[in-house]
Amino acid sequence: MSTDQPTNQPTNQPGNEARGSEPAWLLVTRREVVSRITDKSFLFGTAFMVVLIAGFIGFNAWQEERTDQVTLAATPDSVAMATAVADGAPEVDEDVEVTVVEVDDREAAEAALLDDEADAWLHPGDDGWQLTSESSEQGSLTGVVEAVVSQQVLADNAADVGTTVEALQAGSTVSTDFLRGDAEKAGVAHAVGFVFVFLFYFAALVFGMQLASSVIEEKQSRIVEIIAAAIPLRHLLAGKVLGNTALAMIQLLVYLAVGLVGLSFTSYSSYVPALSGPTAWFIAFFFAGFVALACLWAVAGSLASRTEDLQATSTPLTMLMLVMFFGGLSLDGRGQVIASFVPPVSAVVMPKRILAGGVEWWEPLLALGLLAAFAAVTVWVGERLYRRALLQTGGRVSLRQAWSAAE
Amino acid sequence: MLEIRELTRRFGDNVAVDHVSFDVPAGLMTGFVGGNGAGKTTTMRMMMGVLGIDEGEVLWQGRAITRHDRRRIGYMPEERGLYPKQPILDQLVYIAQLKGMERVAARTQVTELLERFGLGERTKDHLEKLSLGNQQRVQIIASVLPRPAALVLDEPFSGLDPKAVDSMVDLLREYTRDGVPVLFSSHQLDLVERLCDRLVVLAQGRRVAAGTVAELRDAGVPRFRLVLGGDAGWVRDLRGLEVLDLDGATALVEVRQDGAEQHLVAQATSRGDVHEFVRVRPALSEIYREATA
Repeated sequence: MSTDQPTNQPTNQPGNEARGSEPAWLLVTRREVVSRITDKSFLFGTAFMVVLIAGFIGFNAWQEERTDQVTLAATPDSVAMATAVADGAPEVDEDVEVTVVEVDDREAAEAALLDDEADAWLHPGDDGWQLTSESSEQGSLTGVVEAVVSQQVLADNAADVGTTVEALQAGSTVSTDFLRGDAEKAGVAHAVGFVFVFLFYFAALVFGMQLASSVIEEKQSRIVEIIAAAIPLRHLLAGKVLGNTALAMIQLLVYLAVGLVGLSFTSYSSYVPALSGPTAWFIAFFFAGFVALACLWAVAGSLASRTEDLQATSTPLTMLMLVMFFGGLSLDGRGQVIASFVPPVSAVVMPKRILAGGVEWWEPLLALGLLAAFAAVTVWVGERLYRRALLQTGGRVSLRQAWSAAE
Repeated sequence: MLEIRELTRRFGDNVAVDHVSFDVPAGLMTGFVGGNGAGKTTTMRMMMGVLGIDEGEVLWQGRAITRHDRRRIGYMPEERGLYPKQPILDQLVYIAQLKGMERVAARTQVTELLERFGLGERTKDHLEKLSLGNQQRVQIIASVLPRPAALVLDEPFSGLDPKAVDSMVDLLREYTRDGVPVLFSSHQLDLVERLCDRLVVLAQGRRVAAGTVAELRDAGVPRFRLVLGGDAGWVRDLRGLEVLDLDGATALVEVRQDGAEQHLVAQATSRGDVHEFVRVRPALSEIYREATA
């Protein structure tokens, strides 16, 4: 073995020295996005969700459009009434279509029911009229029959005493009026609000967990040491948060687009234009809220040393997610107004309030500003914790250790 | 050349690395040995800027090392650090890009290196699908991207079969031939003795020995073995010598006083036949054991 010092100096290939045009955080972001969207389980998950949304809307639309075809058996003594029911059905329930089948007598009617040739048999009973069916009540038919028969009998009775139904009912109607929109609109707002809360919860949990476990993957395999020697960890964190935020936003936009387009094919299509404003607000709140939480998820990942630790280090966050979920769903009145300004809960509560209406123009802006400020704080705190915890190995790192650790 | 000056790191009350200094000269392989917990990994992590330095400094070409310098130093962490579930070509290109290479150039160089290590057919395979030896090859490729100015390798040979060790050594020699300083840690002393030009021994966070293997073997108190025609018992009576072992005609002595060995030879020849008189240099493992004891 020789101690001679060679004189030749390390050589470097030309062009390797200068960093490529891309900054480090962008490289990290791209890797996060590419490795995820080429991942089959992610693609399947997204496709499944899209099918689920489209299927749900489609099913409801179909359910609505569908007309119930029912066959009503009538013995000679009830043909007149059955025909009246068939004629009057569209007025009572537009989705029910009644066909009358004439049968000779009671036995024939019962046989028709048992053979499924008829769905029900209308005949005079001891006191009024009776609708007999095989074993289960025919929901929509019963409603129609009740309405038509009572109308018919009422008219007959009224004629018997020399008056008319109109005369009897004069002045008895109660009409409703809503100061804040109508019930259907409130229902739609409520349903869409639920969807908003759910989408946020779902995305924050799924992408948050994903982010945390990818942080552990890097920490556990020690690739983070190779990366830390090459680029500042701040860039690594920024890239991971941005990459996952981009993925979550893309997924959210796909779901919302499928949902809104789907809705426009249903009888609720008239609500789509009115929903687009609140939806745009929701996207903005989602973005700020997601970034705020993403940094915390990254910290949860960096505090763990092994995947098994994640359960423990992420518990506070999963709790927070649950609070946001149930808070978003259940809060109302003054509580809702207050929560709509408190980050990060405001990310779900304010869009709900916007949907319900009656929000001053400055309220969403203020809430969004507060949420963005909160996100800035979590990014700052998260970056410090992440940077210090990431390179500590051997067991879980406590928040206090991470905060005060030397770098 | 990489110079480590008085590097110190504490974890709480425990001093993991205690004022350690040594050089990693250009074009030489420097072996870094020491038991578990001696501070090798901590020292290397501080050198790479992965861990903060409490005291001391790392110099590169005579001045304080910068992040930019470190980016050109190939580093292999102790536990293997790559993405298990990503194709090997993709992740190597990613790492090369993080180190500042341009995408196309990175791709070309990674492909070249993969082919060279016989992995040209497996570029799309996930890392976890490869054998341990092949994973190690991918790992070494990651550390030599882009062409490194220096190499800092933590236990690069652990888990490799002899053939894989040889091909790794060939690659490392190529870099030292170009003047790249190489520092690697190892538990395997025989390997270190065979490969290293220089050696740094760490024990309980302190540097206990450093130098070329020959220097280290010469450094201790000189020992001689004497084989005589007759009984060697009289050697005990000589001054300036300590008899370590005596077995009939054979004696192993340690020189405590300069020139005592000359007196010994003179005495021996005057008393009768001298079959053998030879300087005994301790094996590296012995030096290591003594240094770390």
